[in-house]
Amino acid sequence: MTAPNRTIMHVDMDAFFASVELLRRPELAGQPVVVGGRGDPNRRGVVSTATYEARQYGIHSAMPLRRALELCPHAVFLPVDLAAYRTASTEVFALLRELSEHIEPVGLDEAYLDVSHRPEPPRDLGAELKARIHSRTRLTGSVGLAPNRLLAKIASDLEKPDGLTELTLDDVPDRVWPLPVRTLHGVGPRTGERLADLGIETIGDLAATPVERLATAFPANHAQALSERAHGHDERPVAPRRQRKSIGRETTFQKDCRSSARLAWLAEEMLTGLVPRLTERGLRARTVTVKIRYRDFVTQTRSLSLNEASADPDTLAAAVQECLRQHTLHRAVRLLGVSLSQLTDTPEGPQQLSIIQ
Amino acid sequence: MHFEIDRETFLKPLQSIIGVVERRQTLPILSNILIVADSNSLSLTSTDLEVELQAHLSLPVEEPGQITVPARKLLDIVRNLPDESRLTVRVEQDRAIIQSGRSQFRLMTLPAGDFPSVEDIGDVEEIELSQANLRWLIDKTHFAMALQDVRYYLNGLLLELEPDHLRAVATDGHRLALAEFNAQIALEQPRQVIVPRKGIQEILRLLEHSDEPVRVELGNNHIRARLPHLRFTSKLIDGRFPDYQRVIPEADGNCVHIDRESLRQGLVRASILSNEKYRGVRVVLSGDSVTIRSENPEQEQAEEELSAEYGGDDLEIGFNAGYMLDAVGAIEQPSIEMFVTDANASALIRGEGESQVRYVVMPMRL
Repeated sequence: MTAPNRTIMHVDMDAFFASVELLRRPELAGQPVVVGGRGDPNRRGVVSTATYEARQYGIHSAMPLRRALELCPHAVFLPVDLAAYRTASTEVFALLRELSEHIEPVGLDEAYLDVSHRPEPPRDLGAELKARIHSRTRLTGSVGLAPNRLLAKIASDLEKPDGLTELTLDDVPDRVWPLPVRTLHGVGPRTGERLADLGIETIGDLAATPVERLATAFPANHAQALSERAHGHDERPVAPRRQRKSIGRETTFQKDCRSSARLAWLAEEMLTGLVPRLTERGLRARTVTVKIRYRDFVTQTRSLSLNEASADPDTLAAAVQECLRQHTLHRAVRLLGVSLSQLTDTPEGPQQLSIIQ
Repeated sequence: MHFEIDRETFLKPLQSIIGVVERRQTLPILSNILIVADSNSLSLTSTDLEVELQAHLSLPVEEPGQITVPARKLLDIVRNLPDESRLTVRVEQDRAIIQSGRSQFRLMTLPAGDFPSVEDIGDVEEIELSQANLRWLIDKTHFAMALQDVRYYLNGLLLELEPDHLRAVATDGHRLALAEFNAQIALEQPRQVIVPRKGIQEILRLLEHSDEPVRVELGNNHIRARLPHLRFTSKLIDGRFPDYQRVIPEADGNCVHIDRESLRQGLVRASILSNEKYRGVRVVLSGDSVTIRSENPEQEQAEEELSAEYGGDDLEIGFNAGYMLDAVGAIEQPSIEMFVTDANASALIRGEGESQVRYVVMPMRL
């Protein structure tokens, strides 16, 4: 294990898209505001960000807008305006870069920084950064400081919003172990379920479980990694991420699918899950691909390139359905995949508004 | 097959039907036209599987027959023969032989039976109107059709037939054009059909500004128009056109009255310095003027101040100059009225006092 003398900072802007919207619509402050899709809860789209007022109704990101409307009928729904968020994001990142060159952005509103080289006490560094972000943009962010990325991310979430939290390895038993195991980076719904099957609910449960027992449910190296993370160990460096080439999803059916209507519905569901991954990174996609594997393992893909890159759910959905129409679909289907590629983060040019969807 | 024909008599129908013969063909026979010679008539047919054009002419035929020959080559040959030439066309084995004076051409052929022509379009309802009227409907609207949009039903023109109305609507999702006129249409019930872009472009080429009638037949999957000596057939787009009534704003609220020609020229000049890709211009409405501003990525700027009559609040709206020019260019009245709400809502544009033709343009956020 390397010497625990790194200082990693995780900065996570609070309800970023919604907060940017509130800056230009101050009259909405204090109201439940939901940013997502085209801002019409009766149309396709999922929640990108909700204000803390809206979250009290159980609204969270990635939830379909329609569901959010059911939970809070008087919420204010606003369309995603990436250009505005990008402008605010650029200002925040300029401040982060003044702090450290070792910076790894995660989307428009989140970043890891390696600040090990800074002489100041980490807590002062965090406090000053928060103050500068606020004075420059009038937005708040939560800062987590820790010897590694894993703990820094957990830390930034502990006192959100407007939090400033430092975690050391010594804090792990008291402050990290009580948290649900899903809080750990890399524990998604599937892993979470399998851990629950083993009776593991909290990070502490996981830390207390011998690796050998974990290895009965997971491949050996995965079991090892889970155990290390539960003890607060993580050696991943902060590194600029490679530009993503595509974002996609695939699913293999338990039973081969013979209904084209069902395929169309599933493809749309998959796309609905992909669009937020696009928008939270500030990306737009130009090419849409639908992949189909038939029962006999013959695999075919159909792609469509849009005139202009888009992150608009309706435009992308129309393209997905068109790709699907171009498949022959003459046999039972065992796998369906939807992916978005030719991703671009160049700011959108002037935006032509639409008469019809 | 064997017939004789004058160059001019042959050239005109060939030119009328050549439009649907595409240059890149996946099926070799689609590069050909079908020639059918009966005892005293000749028909020439071209198709791209979506649109079919057929020309007829009366002609004494020495030996009836049917064959397909390469369309563009035949047209080029006929076109380049001297004026007032006389041609002989005949088939020997699998070659078509065109002879004129001391010129002879031997063209490859494909069997007539393989040519995918559409004779029967099923049960039809028929209406008749003047060529000029149909041409007018298309002329006023066709430019707003979408081009290769994934919403395939937008890549065409909506024709709406109601008992006392005939209406055409086109939209690419960003702007919309609507033209209609009153007519007694003997139909059992109202019909909506979407004619594909290619079909609209072809029929527009064929229709003349004349009171000569055109008979329009509507089948379940086809539309057919019969003109003197020409038959046009197009598949219909199977899809539901958007509810356009919902997106046409009412003619009320803030209204600008402006001279058509000065607006057109102002837009043309301002757009020179707009971003070439988006052609966005800012239209600033204030008091008695309309100012059009543009700026390109090189930060060159244009400003056009036009006198106008406007009673509303000061307003600045971005528009695609191309969409505005399409609408303004199609308006015949010397003065234009434009109804606006704000920078995010559609504008209604029409000739002063006009009710039959309306244009809707959505703004652009610049």
